[in-house]
This record gives sequence, C-alpha cells and structure tokens, in this order.
Amino acid sequence: MAGPVLRAGAWPAVLGVTGVAVVVGGCGAVFPAAATMLFPICFALLAAAAAFTLDEPASLVVDVTPTGPVRRTRIRAVALLAPLAAGALVLLAAALRGLALPWPAAGLALAGNVLLGFAAACVARTRTGEPGAAVGAAVVLVLMAPSLLPQIARWVRTFPAPGDGGPSSDPVWWTVLAVCAVAIAISVSGRRLPQWKSRVP
Amino acid sequence: MTTALAPARPAAGAGRATFAALAARETRRFALNPVFLAAAGLTAYILWSGQRGTVTDINGPNTAAAVLFGGVGMLVAFWLTRSMSASEPVVGVTPVTLPVRTAALCAVALVPFACGCLTLLAFLHFYPIGDPVYGAFSPPARIAVLVGQIVVPSLGGPLLGVALGRWVRFPGAAFVLFLLLSGWVILVMALTLARPDSAPVAVLRLSAPFALFTLHLDAGVTAWRGSPWFFLGWQLALCAIAVLVALLRGVEGRLRSRIIRALGIAGAAAVILLLLAGTGGFTHAVTT
Repeated sequence: MAGPVLRAGAWPAVLGVTGVAVVVGGCGAVFPAAATMLFPICFALLAAAAAFTLDEPASLVVDVTPTGPVRRTRIRAVALLAPLAAGALVLLAAALRGLALPWPAAGLALAGNVLLGFAAACVARTRTGEPGAAVGAAVVLVLMAPSLLPQIARWVRTFPAPGDGGPSSDPVWWTVLAVCAVAIAISVSGRRLPQWKSRVP
Repeated sequence: MTTALAPARPAAGAGRATFAALAARETRRFALNPVFLAAAGLTAYILWSGQRGTVTDINGPNTAAAVLFGGVGMLVAFWLTRSMSASEPVVGVTPVTLPVRTAALCAVALVPFACGCLTLLAFLHFYPIGDPVYGAFSPPARIAVLVGQIVVPSLGGPLLGVALGRWVRFPGAAFVLFLLLSGWVILVMALTLARPDSAPVAVLRLSAPFALFTLHLDAGVTAWRGSPWFFLGWQLALCAIAVLVALLRGVEGRLRSRIIRALGIAGAAAVILLLLAGTGGFTHAVTT
C-alpha cells in the first residue's frame, strides 16, 4: 500500500521546488555575505515543497478507499525527507565553507519551516484534494514577511541571525512546532470528506 | 473604399466594447482580491508607521511598496490568469479570442500601478525630496529612483504574473519566481556591498526588476553607481516584454510574427538600457 500511495504524490512539484531551494541555499553558502538573507528564502521554498506532499489529484477516488487519512498522511510524510535532506545538505555546505551561524537554531528553523508547510497542507487537505499551490503561496508569504518587510522583522524573526540583538527565532519555531503537531493530529483524525464532495449525489 | 470600411467600423467598436467590458470585469476581480486588499492595507500602515520615528533610511518603505504591490500583485495576477484555465474548453469557443482576454488581464495592472502612484505621493509627503536620506542624487534623479522603486514594480509585477499564468502550468510558479527574484535582488546587493565601484556588478545589481540605489551606514548615506533614469527605461522595457510574452500565447499568423518582431526590438532595447543604467550615473559610490 505504501508504494502506490507514495508513487501517486506530486513528486515533480516536491522535487522541483526542493531543487530550486537547493540552488538558492547553495548561493547562500557560496556568498556568505548574503547567507542570512538567502537561507530564509531557501527554507521558505522547502516549506512550500512540503506543502505539495499531500497533493492528491485522484482524491475523489482515494478519499473513499478503506485506507484512512492517518495512514495515508503517515505514508506521504515520508516525502518530507526530500526537503529536510536538502535543507540539511545546504546547512552542511555552509558549515563546510566556514559560515558562522547558530547551527542548532538554524536546524530548528529548518524543521519548523518544513513542518509548517506540511501542517498547513494537512489542514487544507480536509477541504481540497490539492492544497499544495494555495498553501505553498500562503506559507511563503508568511515566512518571507520578516525578511522582506523590515517593520515586521522588529517583532518576529524566522531565521537566526548571528550575533545581533534582534528577537530570537527559537521561541517562534518551538511554538510553531507545537502548534503544527496539534494541527496535524486534529486534521488527520477528524478529516471529513471535502465540502465539494459532500455535494456529489 | 467607403463600402469596404463601413462594416468594419461597427465590428471594431464592438471589439473595443467587449475588451472594455472584459477589462473592467478582470480589474474588479483583481481589486477585490483579499490578498491584494491586505497588501494595500499593509503598505499604507508601513508608510504611516515608518514616518513616526526619526527617518534615517528610505529603503524599508520602498521595499515594502515594491514587495506588496509588485510581488503580491504578481501572485494575484497569476491566480487570476490561471483561474480560467479549467474553463478553457468552454471559454475557448466564445467569439472573444485568447489575446483579447490576455490584454484584458494585462489591464488589471493599472490598479496596482495607480496604488503605486498614490504611494509615491504619500512617500514624498512623508519623506520630502530635499531630505538627506536620498543621498547624493539630484532632486530629479531622486524622483526617478522612487518611481523605479515604487511605481514601476507595481506595474511590472502583475504583468509578469499574467505572462507567467499564460505560459506556465505549475500552480506554484508565481511564488517560486517571487522567491527567486527576491533571492536575486539580495545576492546582487551582497555583491554590490563587496564591490561598490565595479561597473559589471552595477549592471548585475540593476538587472533585477527592483534595485536599491542608496544604503544608510554609520558613515552616512552611500549612493551607488548607476543611472536611475536608464534603470527606469530598463524596467519599462521589461514591462513591455512581459505584455508581449503574455499576448504571444494563442496568437497565430501575421499577428504572431509582429509580436515576435516587437519582442526582439523590446529585448534589444532592454539590453541597451541595462548597460546604460549600469555604466551611467555616478562612476563610483558616493557617501554624503
């Protein structure tokens, strides 16, 4: 069962967006002066890639099969290894090039970004079969807001910057991880048929 | 002659009326999009909140306007364009051709463009043009910098969104491009900080559809090399290219060859303007 469920995933989207993220993150590793700005973009792309993992073009059929949402979500979660591994690769490349970043905080930010994309997709999957594009766009806008709008960066930071006095990103990501875990649990356990499907006679 | 032209006039008039109705419809859809409304509200708030304290740097509010009207406008225009793709088998058989529908979609860019113009006026009210935060640029050049950072990105972003929506099927293409463009702007900024006096780096910095011309440091405001006027020309050429690329979809025959010819001319003009933008203006970074 795991094989077909995994094979049906939106792999071109997941791997394509992950690939773009690796390119952006690679540029961050090559140009250390831009790393603290390019890594958030890389992580936002990885979050968007995670949002595509639950896309199910055949949801009309799949949602009524005996395989429940918990099992399907668990199988599809395996696809998160792609963005997580890509993010880890980027951080490893940056470490090898001697970038001075707070690595535990950067790792936490990576996990938080990917889980945020996945959790938002889980919630949206209760209403639509292909939540990837909408959730990806929403997650990108939210995650990039502190990087692109300096006024927001005064209050909240999504990537740990080395050695300055701004707000820390750790509390944000611990909170996000906790909220995401709860959101995934609730959305998977109580997943109803999408609303449009309930109108099908 | 009169007999030959007489039937064409009502047809052309009807075509214009159809286009106007379509453009009005699409413009309304764009202007009422909740994401665009949120972007407009956030821009107004950032402008208002930015001038409450002591202003030392104009790059924050500038970037906000470009990101919110240009970047978010691109996302909304892309969604608007893609929203009809599922209905294409039905819409495709109506008398209105795809290029006319594309042109109507391009017309929605007038909404963020108008918002950008209003933002520019508000910006000039909050940050007068004689203020030292603009660096060593002359007053007309300062206006050109602001138009290139606020108004033209507001026009170009949505046009790019329409072109992308016409050619790319991947539903996440707009936010991927948004992030790639952001990454490019940041990368060339980092290069500029490392080599502020290099002409090739200036060309690279100005190759992005949004570029900063000044930077506030402890030593004062540094104005980087590059011509704001030619940069405006480069941006407008990019807007023209986006419209032409969008219109190219679904066009056949003579019109197609005319659009391709226009694309060649616009592309050549864009390259020349970019080179002039990078090599014009100050020959080195000036700190005041």
